[in-house]
Amino acid sequence: MFLIFCHWLARTGISHIMRDSTYDFAIVEVGHLLALAIFGGAVLLVDLRFLGVAFKSQPAPELARELLPLTGGGVVAMLLTGFFLFLGGPLRYYHNPAFDLKILLFVLALVGHFALQIGVCKQGDEEAKYPLLVKAAAVLSLLLWFSVGLAGRAIGYV
Amino acid sequence: MPSLISFCEWVSSTPFSIAIHKSPIYFPVIEGIHTLGITAVVGTIAVLDLRLLGLIMKRRPVSSIAREVLPWTWAGFAVMFITGILLSIAEAATNYYNWAFRIKLILLLLVGLNPLIFHLTVYRKVNSWDVSNVTPVRARAAAICSLVLWTGIIVAGRLIAYVNM
Repeated sequence: MFLIFCHWLARTGISHIMRDSTYDFAIVEVGHLLALAIFGGAVLLVDLRFLGVAFKSQPAPELARELLPLTGGGVVAMLLTGFFLFLGGPLRYYHNPAFDLKILLFVLALVGHFALQIGVCKQGDEEAKYPLLVKAAAVLSLLLWFSVGLAGRAIGYV
Repeated sequence: MPSLISFCEWVSSTPFSIAIHKSPIYFPVIEGIHTLGITAVVGTIAVLDLRLLGLIMKRRPVSSIAREVLPWTWAGFAVMFITGILLSIAEAATNYYNWAFRIKLILLLLVGLNPLIFHLTVYRKVNSWDVSNVTPVRARAAAICSLVLWTGIIVAGRLIAYVNM
């Protein structure tokens, strides 16, 4: 089913443009990296706050809310630019195991991280009720985002 | 007198350089960690820059954000620096001729001067504008310089591989 979709995507005009031009791909790729930088730094600070090692002067839910434009906006920007990169070779990515791995890790990291954010925010501004659980989840989130980055780099090498 | 290019060629001929360069694992992994190091640097410094521009965390004093963010920026910088040296060793001779690599080095130098000037000048009087929404023009100029230069560094850094192809 997804393969049929990839075949259809590969025939679209925009996919041809992304494939045939060297610079369109490079420009979108740089955009993807810039979105990653904004997102990655903000998500690092939020996870480190959940871990209890950064921004201790500020309640975790408040920090998560204040950085939401960067974490949430970063995800949207990465998805948009990522989709255009995918258009540069839908079938190539379909058959690239590093791409599969990255998407799997990305979904896990995304759901895990934002579930953690929502969970912590629901507890309110007082100290976390399950500090160990939150810390373990923050470590897991950091590890997952780290692996998403490495798997992403691997796509170009596989 | 030994020239820089002969030094770079010598570095490229060392077993250490060849080992990184030739390995199907070392180079991509170091490169991936380098990218994530830059992500940590740029992403955390952007939080401070965006606060200086009055775009996020407006109710928080600038100095407290700087205090919280900068240690992590430096940690990311250490990762980026060490992995960057390793990558430069691996591709010393090719990078010598790479214009994108040269631009990246120049931009890195400039991006280092920016906080130096900022901390020696306008940030010294941070107490007088710490909590204000609209920070002094020079603070906003420093923030814009930082964001533009780091963007340039990411663009030039990505281009190194395109030029070396």
